[in-house]
Amino acid sequence: MSNRDYLGEFEHIVLLAVLRLDDQAYGVTVRREIEVRTKREVSIGAIYATLDRLEAKGYVQSRPGDPTPERGGRSKRFFRVTAPGVSAIHRTHRAIRSLAEGLDLLGSRL
Amino acid sequence: MRRPAPHTRPPSIAAWLVSLFGSADQAESILGDLEEEFSDIASKSAAASARRWYWHQSLKTIAQLAGAGVRNAPWPLAGLVLAGFLLQWFSTGLPEGVIVAILRTQRPYSNLHYDFYISFLTYGFPIAGDIQSILLGCLVAAFARQREVIATTALSFLGGASIGLLFFDASGHWSRFAYSWPFPIVQLINQLAIVLGGVIVREIRLALRKGCHEHDFNWTDK
Repeated sequence: MSNRDYLGEFEHIVLLAVLRLDDQAYGVTVRREIEVRTKREVSIGAIYATLDRLEAKGYVQSRPGDPTPERGGRSKRFFRVTAPGVSAIHRTHRAIRSLAEGLDLLGSRL
Repeated sequence: MRRPAPHTRPPSIAAWLVSLFGSADQAESILGDLEEEFSDIASKSAAASARRWYWHQSLKTIAQLAGAGVRNAPWPLAGLVLAGFLLQWFSTGLPEGVIVAILRTQRPYSNLHYDFYISFLTYGFPIAGDIQSILLGCLVAAFARQREVIATTALSFLGGASIGLLFFDASGHWSRFAYSWPFPIVQLINQLAIVLGGVIVREIRLALRKGCHEHDFNWTDK
């Protein structure tokens, strides 16, 4: 993956949520974490579409969990952020900080 | 987490629709997540609101999975849909031609089965068209691995749009096709039959995959 590849807004949010959840990151917990912290309603499909894209880029890895009765006997799919994923977060943060530097955002009407 | 009463199950049609889109592994984890949250909501509030939530999430999830399926491989999918469209275009009238050729060899109008001959022509043509559409859907789906329903739905939309153009004449007014009432209905059913072909192939693949997993499980169990 290129060193200039920055994360999209939702990719960024999903990666941070997976990082926060550590080894408990799967569809339900990632969705709830995002809803609680960003007050933004997201669908399970949006989470999986983004996680699959991030996995294809090598930013996350997934592993299957055990089937549970409350899931109708279906297994969970746990995610964790990889080292390139952490680098992509740093790179995106640096770019945003650099762009925001010197701007009086608190004083603006935005 | 408290399990809901046995009658409070997620809407099976919504779950089935979700399973048609995305990969089999995706469907497994997504349906598991949806059921886990459904159980949680159903244990805290009314079953109706849990079902509403499930349908709402399912429809949004289907839209997301279909969009991701197109974005992940746009050109192969577009090529497949275009090939299917051309095949549909060039095979138009083929079933009718076959039926007429068979009937001519039998010469039914020269004997007592004239009524049968007329009904066969009336109902045989649309049914043959539907069978042709199902076979076309199966063929397109066979080449669209994991995207069977996305590819056949796109093909049916394209076919529907091209037929929609027949409803207008060159001056932009309604053409005579629009007023011949069975025509739009027959065409709509034909387009739905293409998607049905995709669903059939998808279900067969899922069943084969499930059968393979069970076989592997039994093998390791022994």
